[in-house]
Amino acid sequence: MKSTVPADQVDQVDADQEIIARVLSGDRDAFSILIHRYSDPLFRHALGMTGSPDVAEDILQMSFIKAYSHLAEVRGRFDAWVFRIVANGCKDWLKNIRRTHLSYDEDDQPTGYANPEEELDLTELRSDLDRALQTLPVSLREAFVMKHVEGRSYEEMAELLSTTVGALKMRVHRAREALQALLEEKYA
Amino acid sequence: MYEPNRRDEAAREGGKQSGENNAPLADREVPLPPVATLDHVHRWLDGEAPEPTGLRGEQARSLEFWHRMEEETDRRRRVVTPPYLADRIMAALPQTASATAIAPWWKKDMNLSPAAVVALAVGAFSLGLIAMRLVTG
Repeated sequence: MKSTVPADQVDQVDADQEIIARVLSGDRDAFSILIHRYSDPLFRHALGMTGSPDVAEDILQMSFIKAYSHLAEVRGRFDAWVFRIVANGCKDWLKNIRRTHLSYDEDDQPTGYANPEEELDLTELRSDLDRALQTLPVSLREAFVMKHVEGRSYEEMAELLSTTVGALKMRVHRAREALQALLEEKYA
Repeated sequence: MYEPNRRDEAAREGGKQSGENNAPLADREVPLPPVATLDHVHRWLDGEAPEPTGLRGEQARSLEFWHRMEEETDRRRRVVTPPYLADRIMAALPQTASATAIAPWWKKDMNLSPAAVVALAVGAFSLGLIAMRLVTG
């Protein structure tokens, strides 16, 4: 069964295709439009998965370079395609960090919050949540980050991860239960 | 199927039979409102149900916990890419190779002119003829 695509999404796909055509015909600078258009949700994903702004920046940079290098291969939605590159980049990084037993600096925490006072109050919660997220299996962490940090719908998540809504709900529920078990005593 | 009203009724009935009505006020069973389960909390977090009310004990703690977590995840949802990153990425893009040149040849779209198609067809026909001559001797 083929789902109907909303009109605004079709417009977006067309607009992206237009930019891709410009880049492929030699207008290299047009690629920055795609970067500006999609970097925020991708950065949030990488940050949620790795817990480190520096690593998230590196993953985003590598992913956009990869996307640029393979731009001629884009079929369909650019945002879904580049999301998969970033998601795979995060998984590769997590695999490597486990293999080499490296740990990144725990003080290397997300920046860019609205209010500095708010940030001070919530530093502990933030780092506790980061630490708890790091203990989750990658598939649960990914589902939780996409649902709660990126605010995506289950349908959108299913499309991006090529899986079913039911499977994703299960992952998010299991992630919540695991996080709650780890953090509830301190924060409830 | 679970029917909360019937169970409460039965409990009250049982209480009457064992003479619990004569027990001191503090020991009497107070019928509880319908208890929301963790499933209600999940459905609320999934945006499929309104926020559960009248929760007690573990469920209430669970709700409070997720209120706190939502504050933090909301904050994370507002995080934006550092402003310098787009420039950094643009500067790191390959300068010499065009985006098309990097794609492997077998994945590129093929554009053939009519003349090229005719030349290919003639070539294939000639090769076929040569192969036939060789086979038939």
